[in-house]
This record gives sequence, structure tokens and C-alpha cells, in this order.
Amino acid sequence: MTGILDLLTSSQAARYQEFQSFTSDKIQHSADQWDRDQRLPDSIITELAEAGYLGSTLPQEFGGAGWDTVTFGLLSEALGRGSSSVAVLVTVQAMVTMALLKWGTPAQKAEWLPPLAKGRMLAAFALTEPGAGSATDSLTTQLIPDGSDGFTLHGTKRWISCAQMASVFLVFAKLEGQPVACLVPGNAPGLLIEPITDLLGFRAAGLAQVSFDGVTVPAGNIVGKVGFAISHVATLGLQHGRISTACSGLGLLRGCFEESIAYASNRKIGESYVGDLGMIRSLITRMGTDLQAGRLLCFHACRAEDDHDPAAFEKTLVAKYFTSRAAGLAASDAVQIRGASGCHDSSSAARYYRDSKIMQIIEGTTQIHEQLLGKVFLGQAARIASKTV
Amino acid sequence: MSAEQLQRVKQVLREFILDSINIRNLGDDDDLFESGIVNSLFAVQWMTFIEKKFKIEIGVEDLDIQNFKSLNAATAFVMRQNGSADLTSL
Repeated sequence: MTGILDLLTSSQAARYQEFQSFTSDKIQHSADQWDRDQRLPDSIITELAEAGYLGSTLPQEFGGAGWDTVTFGLLSEALGRGSSSVAVLVTVQAMVTMALLKWGTPAQKAEWLPPLAKGRMLAAFALTEPGAGSATDSLTTQLIPDGSDGFTLHGTKRWISCAQMASVFLVFAKLEGQPVACLVPGNAPGLLIEPITDLLGFRAAGLAQVSFDGVTVPAGNIVGKVGFAISHVATLGLQHGRISTACSGLGLLRGCFEESIAYASNRKIGESYVGDLGMIRSLITRMGTDLQAGRLLCFHACRAEDDHDPAAFEKTLVAKYFTSRAAGLAASDAVQIRGASGCHDSSSAARYYRDSKIMQIIEGTTQIHEQLLGKVFLGQAARIASKTV
Repeated sequence: MSAEQLQRVKQVLREFILDSINIRNLGDDDDLFESGIVNSLFAVQWMTFIEKKFKIEIGVEDLDIQNFKSLNAATAFVMRQNGSADLTSL
């Protein structure tokens, strides 16, 4: 997140340089092709794993890198500059691993976290259903006692990022009317993964529909306690997902900014460059200003998380709300600046445009953010008013 | 643990709640989660505050609504869990 370098420690700044080099060397030039292929090659997943990027926030005792959230945010930003589909791998891995780190039993952590930290195993966060997206109270997937010590799982999840590559799923369901979370191996009998293709964006992110037809779930695979799956397990996972998505959206915004400047500086209309036009400068000014504001919002959200500050949840909502919308505007303008060439699959701007729309839907839609933040801001205003009466 | 410390813990918790949600008065036994006054983030913010302020690590074994549902419940939980927190400094 260049522009906030003076706020970073030397270690964070050095890592950020490393992340940018990784993106430049291994992602940026292939991202459009992966988008057209609608899949990521195994080689980039291996590269991410070998670099330690898939378990970066896990403690070293579980094989992770033990990085702070600011560093994790910088990683998401750098990867998001190259490819939203690559960044979402890191996002989802963090959602599952951090929820498991907080709420898993010692046995669960010992079994699952080391392979996840090393990237030998990828995870997916199976919350969304065909009839339950933001409305998590409406989950219909059922965990049913099997009469002995275990359970069977029945239901369908949809729009699950990275499900095509996942070896383990953190699944959210209902158990006798109460929300429950459980771990399900990807090769469990009765589990069916059906890839979803031809998405608007995130086309290489391995989305799938995942069905559970009487999948056996041992009692030892329940994460957290029954009744707390949404309020504590999912919320904590989504917090890390939103941090990563906010920063990944910031990376996408930077991509729009950098590529628009390069185009506007080189493309001539008659004797003038595109960038000489006042209207184009207006678009670039908005991108650049949003980029600077987004960097600060993301940095403060990440730092609040590192400080274990209860306000981190609201700051993260604000950051994700801002960068996902700003990325959408920037991507639209990046296409506009390129003109017809920006409307073709050969242009990264077209990919940014499609991916940016997904940013406004995943990890809570823009409207869900407005519902939550509206209540927060109105409450703050009311409290201020009551103190001044 | 003295009665004075208990009252101080309760006061710290009360101030967080009143600063977090839009409510003028809070009874010691008012149920925070059944009253509909908190949003969906409050449960984790409440937990995070307790962990940070009182240096408590809340684990899966502590996930019981009886520990967090009211001011009195959370105060009792903090008093039971208090290991390293220096309550005199609150």
C-alpha cells in the first residue's frame, strides 16, 4: 500500500516489496489468461504455498508465518493488484484458519491447521446457500444426530469460493434449530462438488455448488459450540474475509489507476495525449484520491485488528464498503479511458470491471454494509446528542 | 477479590455497553441479546473487549450465553476468569 509506507514498520515495508515482486513476476502477466481459462493452474497455488502466503497469519506453532494483520492486508492488496481470483485463495484460507484457530479444539487445530498453514490443503467457507446469502438465519442445511455419537449432514451450499480446490470445508448448518459449524473433508462420501462456470467475475476462483447427501460428521468435527456458529464462528471468519477483500479491492483499484495512467500517458488523440484531456484527468484524480483514502482505511482496520480493538469490526466494514465501491468506480473509468479496447477480454480493464462487481457482493453486500454501518453511525450520533443535551 | 473491584469491573463493562449501543439505561440483569438492542457484530465486539480489557483469552469452553448475556453475567465471568489482569489499574 504505497503511500502509507511511513506508517509501516521496516519489516512490513520489506514484506510489501516482496509481495509486489511476487505479483509482478508470477501473476500479473498470466491473470487475464487464467480468467479466460476459468481456472488457476496448480503451479500458482504451489507458488503461494511455498512462499508461505496460505498460512501467513497462523502462529508458527502450527506452521504459519505468524504475520500481523497489517502484513496480511499488504499481501491481499498486492495479490489483488494482480488477480482477484488469486487473492481470494488467501482470503478464504484465512477465513477458515482464523475461525478454527479461535474456536477449534486442540485436536482439531493439531489435525487441520498444519497442512492448511503449509498450503498442502486448501479450505473453503461453506456458508451461502441457494436461498440464504446475507440472511444467515435462513440456512436450510441440516446436521442431524445419527443415533450414536455423530451426525449426518444434509443440504446444498452455492457460490462457494475455492470449493473446486478445497480439501476441507467449514460448513454452517442448523442442528435442531440452532446454528452449528463443522469441518467436512472434501473427499467425504456423499459430498458432491459441482463447478460453477461463466461467472461475471472471479472466474478463476474455483466457485462451486457443494451438496451434502447424508455426509457423516463425527462429533469431534463440530467447531465452536452449537448456537454460536453464526454469532462467533462465522463472524470471526467473515472479519478476516472482509479485511482481505477490502485490501484486495484496494489492489484492484491500484491496478486501474496504474494502468489508466500508463494508457493515458501513451495513447495519442491527434497531437494530444489522452491524459491531456481535462475529463480524463478528472477520472484519474478520483481514482488517485480514492486510492489514498482506501489505503488509510485499510491500514487502520488492519491495525485495529492487530490491537485486538473491538472497533476493528466496524473499521473493517468501513474499509470494505469504501474500497469495493471505489474499485467499481475505478474499473468503470478504466474501461472508459481505454475506450473500445477496454471492452475486450484481452484487456485487464475488462477483467477489473467484472471482478469489481463481485467485490461489492462477497463478504456481505454493499447493502448489508449500509444496514450495519447505518445503525452504527446513527447510534453514535444519538449518543453524542444525548451527551450534549 | 473485593467488592470494590467487582464494582469497578462492572462499571468498566457498563461504560463499554453504553458506548457501543444506543440505550440510555441498562439494568444489571437486562438481557443484551434478547432485547434486540444490539447488532450482529456486538457479540464478538463484547467478547473482544472483555479479552483485551481484562487480559482474558476466551476459548471454546467459555462459549456459554450465561457468561455474556448481561452486565451481571459478564462481571461474574470476568471475576471468575481473572488471572493476569491488574484490576487495581482499571
